[in-house]
Amino acid sequence: MKASLGRDNYPLNCWYVAATSDEVNASLLARQLLDRRVVLFRQSTGEIAALDDRCAHRAVPLSLGSLVDDQVVCAYHGFTYASTGACVRVPSQTHVPYGARVRSYPVRERPPFVWVWLGNVARSRSVEPPDVPELRESGWTTLGGSLQMAANYMLLHDNALDRTHFPYVHPHRIHRGYVEDPPPLRIEVAETTVSYTRTFSPAPLADWQHDATGLAADITYTQRETGTFVSPALHVDEMDILGPEGDSRVFRGMFVRAFTPIDPAHTMIIWRAARNYALQDESVTERLREVYEGTMVEDQPLLETIQATAPDSIGSGVSAAADAAAIRAYQIVDALLSEERVRSTTR
Amino acid sequence: MTLGDAPTTAMSTVFSERRADLVVTARNMRAEGVISLTLADPTGAKLPAWTPGAHIDVLLDDTVVRQYSLCGSPGDQHNWRIGVLLDPGGRGGSRRVHETMNVGDAVAVRGPRNHFPLLAADRYVSIAGGIGIAPMLPMLEAATDAGAAWQLFYGGRSRESMAFVGELARYGDRVTLWPEDTRGMLPLDEILSSPSDGVLIYCCGPEGLLTATERQCAAWPVGALHVERFAAKPQPEAAVGGDSAFEVVCRRSGVTVMVPPDKSIIEVLEENGVSVLSSCLEGVCGTCETAVLAGTPDHRDSLLTQEERETNEYMMVCVGRALSDRLELDL
Repeated sequence: MKASLGRDNYPLNCWYVAATSDEVNASLLARQLLDRRVVLFRQSTGEIAALDDRCAHRAVPLSLGSLVDDQVVCAYHGFTYASTGACVRVPSQTHVPYGARVRSYPVRERPPFVWVWLGNVARSRSVEPPDVPELRESGWTTLGGSLQMAANYMLLHDNALDRTHFPYVHPHRIHRGYVEDPPPLRIEVAETTVSYTRTFSPAPLADWQHDATGLAADITYTQRETGTFVSPALHVDEMDILGPEGDSRVFRGMFVRAFTPIDPAHTMIIWRAARNYALQDESVTERLREVYEGTMVEDQPLLETIQATAPDSIGSGVSAAADAAAIRAYQIVDALLSEERVRSTTR
Repeated sequence: MTLGDAPTTAMSTVFSERRADLVVTARNMRAEGVISLTLADPTGAKLPAWTPGAHIDVLLDDTVVRQYSLCGSPGDQHNWRIGVLLDPGGRGGSRRVHETMNVGDAVAVRGPRNHFPLLAADRYVSIAGGIGIAPMLPMLEAATDAGAAWQLFYGGRSRESMAFVGELARYGDRVTLWPEDTRGMLPLDEILSSPSDGVLIYCCGPEGLLTATERQCAAWPVGALHVERFAAKPQPEAAVGGDSAFEVVCRRSGVTVMVPPDKSIIEVLEENGVSVLSSCLEGVCGTCETAVLAGTPDHRDSLLTQEERETNEYMMVCVGRALSDRLELDL
């Protein structure tokens, strides 16, 4: 039953984040997604188009060309494409050769993310991309960035669903509850998602939590963590610190990571974090940036080393009980992949 | 704390399936004895995503759980639709649904999960009997969207008893209706007369239809037939002398237990603190599917295909037992 994980292991019939809203303007943006080259641009209507980044004529990347009146003009011979991918002009002749077009991909913009579907177009109509409204609604302050890793995207999901590496890889970023009193991990599964939740007994905050929230360092707080594999393209963490006695506030931090495979061995992480406290405080934003970015950068050499030395091990090592959520994520991806494996009538 | 400090207490893991309290937002008569219910979150929140062939548990009370296929559109993230056949001879679950669930009523559900996924193919043959039409509806929609060729053969007691016929009308002659009172039994020998690579067969319906289809597919390529059962498959009588005891080793949790003849693996594991996700306890829902690392399981579920059984890679620990003295499981 097991699909070959660790190689070309990303489902095509899935929405992936290709860019953030602010990155897509009235200019040509080249991206490599799922081992394909795609060019994105925003039309004057505000809608975003995504086309194969390869001229149908002599295969020059269209992103080297220019955008004129919502049409892409190839840098080599001026072949011109509409946002649908249809070639509408060949400057050297009066008619357009039959069948001259490039593939266009369905796009959905759910700010701050721009989602692209590279699989079966008709299937895209019955699936909506995930949405995290906290990343654009008032009452939240957000920050974010992007980072590329030389690691398969499932290594990133596996890492995101796992808290037991924190005492080893991120020891200065955790509170005492992680080591002294780890609570039971509650895993909740549905057909295409899995999440874990755990609630810690009251413990003092980690240094960065105290810096960010301004809560006193000398008393204990109840904390709750949830991490969700939303789809092969998205992982969302929620971290709540409950206010001390008499304070009903919940200090919530969300850490949202879009994992977009560039190819089987490289992943683009487009991340955003949101918080519902210290909304105007720039220094808190910078402190949190260091925490979120720093955590990923600390994981990076380990994940890249696994990729470099044992790419075939992905999804197949010995597992511990705490890996239950990650195992489930592999199973979900496995099921999606086996649904896509076409049985052809021609042998 | 310094790098490399090990946790001083072991962390435990508790598995559960997503549970939700929904509300009935529509109830419609679909055919003689068949209603459809539309379920939604009372706050209007999105429901978890699912794929064609998925089903949910409806929790009628603490002990009575029934599985129903989702038969709406997977693109509708706010509503789930199920079809429920009143089975007067059944265990009473469908009667409770028919008699007590009305618009505005609360319904507790678990899932969704999918053990009848629509695999990609160029051609499909779908065979539905009675309420077995339910999972076919989203599958046919997906197959149409994917541009695959397909045919549906839909049998029922009588035309009046066949639900969702109106919704199938848009598919024209790709759908063949076969009411038993005027046309007899579905002609499976004709429908499945020419085994072919690249054609997948999906079948859902009463046990008689499933067994007959399985028999008819013996000459088809391994893996071509996919069936979904909502009642346990009749099992051959236990060997003379009944079941025997065997040992189960849970490699991940490091627990070893003895399973006596009168208890299931899952019962004994739970008594010993190993949490296994489970639902139907009859070998039909697939929730407790567990990887087998060593030993030979005695499969007694209604879910794994013959081909899957022979690999002995997975088993349903709610009904399955062991042919070997010892089983090692990935738990």
